[in-house]
Amino acid sequence: MKNRTIGIRQRQSMTGWAFLTPAVILLVVMNFVPIFQALLMSFQSGRGAQMKWSGIGNYLRMFKDSVFLQSMKNTGLYMVVTVPLMIIIGILLAVLLNDPQLKLKGVYRTCIFLPAAVSLVASAVIFRSLFATDGFVNMVLVRLGILKRGYNFLGHPASAKIVLMIMRVWRWVGYQMLFFLSALQNIDPGVYEAAKIDGATSVQSFFRITLPLLKPMILYTLIMCINSAIQVYDESVNLTGGGPGNSTLAMAHHIYNTSFVNVPNFGYSCAMSMLILVVVGVLTFIQMKAGDTRE
Amino acid sequence: MKKQFLAAVLSAAMIGTMMLSGTAAAAEDTVQTLTVWCWDPNYNINALRVAERIYQQDHPGFTLDILERNAQETIEKLATSTTSGKMDELPDVMLFDDTMVKQELLSYPEAFTDLTDLGFNYDEFSPSKVAFSTIEGRNYGIPFDSGTALAFYRTDVLEEAGYTIDDFTDITWDEFIEKGKVVLEKTGHALLNGMGAYNQVAIMLASAGSGYFDEDGNLNIADNKAIKEIVRIYTEMVNGGVYMEETGWDMYLGNINNGTVAGAMNGCWMMASLQAAEDQSGLWAVTNLPKLDGIEGATNYSSQGGSTWTISSNCQNPELAVDFFKSTFGGSTELYDEILPTGAVATWLPAADSEKYEEPVAFFSDQPVFSIITQYSADIPIFITNAYDSSARNAVVNAITNVIYSGAEIDAELQAAEDTVAFEMSA
Repeated sequence: MKNRTIGIRQRQSMTGWAFLTPAVILLVVMNFVPIFQALLMSFQSGRGAQMKWSGIGNYLRMFKDSVFLQSMKNTGLYMVVTVPLMIIIGILLAVLLNDPQLKLKGVYRTCIFLPAAVSLVASAVIFRSLFATDGFVNMVLVRLGILKRGYNFLGHPASAKIVLMIMRVWRWVGYQMLFFLSALQNIDPGVYEAAKIDGATSVQSFFRITLPLLKPMILYTLIMCINSAIQVYDESVNLTGGGPGNSTLAMAHHIYNTSFVNVPNFGYSCAMSMLILVVVGVLTFIQMKAGDTRE
Repeated sequence: MKKQFLAAVLSAAMIGTMMLSGTAAAAEDTVQTLTVWCWDPNYNINALRVAERIYQQDHPGFTLDILERNAQETIEKLATSTTSGKMDELPDVMLFDDTMVKQELLSYPEAFTDLTDLGFNYDEFSPSKVAFSTIEGRNYGIPFDSGTALAFYRTDVLEEAGYTIDDFTDITWDEFIEKGKVVLEKTGHALLNGMGAYNQVAIMLASAGSGYFDEDGNLNIADNKAIKEIVRIYTEMVNGGVYMEETGWDMYLGNINNGTVAGAMNGCWMMASLQAAEDQSGLWAVTNLPKLDGIEGATNYSSQGGSTWTISSNCQNPELAVDFFKSTFGGSTELYDEILPTGAVATWLPAADSEKYEEPVAFFSDQPVFSIITQYSADIPIFITNAYDSSARNAVVNAITNVIYSGAEIDAELQAAEDTVAFEMSA
């Protein structure tokens, strides 16, 4: 008799597994198996479907590939510039919108979040026409007398990079704001009242109370932002096409070109993808360790 | 019990016959149907539908099953299907851009059918067109539309600057730039625009019968006089405001259609896009291209962006496919007459004998544009193509960008471009 009864703990854990299994199976089949296949393929090389084993040749090749190195620099720049901007502006917007006195909060929140809900292709088209030689931005600059003739923003390497980064920040800042807003709403208003009674200014309470309490959320958004910055693809493809020259080409875009635009070399593409995977993994690990305050 | 048993037997028999007749019908279908991937409903798909109707007159029961896929989607699907060994996902017929077809044929040789011995009449097509899909003397493609390049100009703008279309006929690029600057100064219009340098460089290079490679397949960028001259001319055009660089196809066409740019230079398929601006009817005229001065083999004629049909190795009945194309795209003036208004000009030479080709076109100042195209296409030099052409073109365009915007040295940049392509080929 004793053998046939299942303990309540076992029963609970079986229920848990039952709920988890479908998701795990899907994850393994749709994600882990292809990643493993890509890993295998990254040790092969050749044109199109005619692949041969080439050891670590692809991994050595990357560091001699001037286009890949350029795309790495570009992606690094996008990360270093846009991630802090997104997080700082996101926090500021969240704090502003969290003010209980503020009216029409819903409207502001929707407006700021809306870019994240617009399709990337559509926003690229909007930005292209905004920054076109005869576009809105140039019209304003010419009318104000700052420029004499329309400037081809997307035609020059430096300005094209800037427009791309503006678009990224514009698009994702509302998304980050949403996370901070939800974190702010979990902070007990009593803490602020107590600080006020003790004579703290609002600046002091922001730095001493709000920021420390937001820390776990900042860590989370930081990881997500960096991950998405390393994988920038849509902006590079849709806004600038990687140009002018290769000046805005992102790593993921170069990988795509290597597979589907230039003469295909899938093994090499896989090797570059693996490098991105490793970089993302390492950066995430460092952040988790650095952000972990538990003793 | 007995009744139930009988019913079961009868229904089993019925299902059996249904399945049998089903498979029989399906077998017949596969013989009579060709599946096709191609793009553009108004152009390529329209041409196929007309061809289907013509072929059906002698072959009742023949149908085409067309799936609209753009050029890039076709390339991606071909890549994924072939590399994952799922060749049965491929259709019978795929359309490719002329500049891409060799790259795809050499990357996935197992995905295409060799058509050399299947009796297609290649000798009735223009040789420079057939060369796009010929590898080591074997034919893998069926030539479709012409990419013969034309120079289009707004005659009203030229007039304002004191020129006529004749002032832009049989000229050199230096003369073009000189006159373009006058037009810009007097009217404020640039004469050309483009999505970066891509198409412009391709047109200019082909006009001299040159390429990024020599006859033996060796890279020929850094020491190629034609390419150096093209970089010099292009840089001068952009810096002088004669050529406007655009960042998207929408802006390229938009600025022509709204009258900002007073000219265009592209394959003759461009006619359809120009005619979208109906208010400009009668204001446009066509002529030949400027020529690269002092370059051996340079002409006033070139080609850009035609396309070629291929038959996949998944095709169960290549004889049917070849017969279909031979009777229509390689044998029917009726087909080419009917698709002519969409701007699809034949590379099948006999099509040009049709009266339709002589008719004046009101949009282009009543010029007989189609017979002009046919005349020009005879003078296009055969240029050297290679599987790595599109990589080489991208590298040269990057070099040009660096020369224009970062003030880099032409020679050093072209050497860097050659190194980039050599690196890619070393895989």
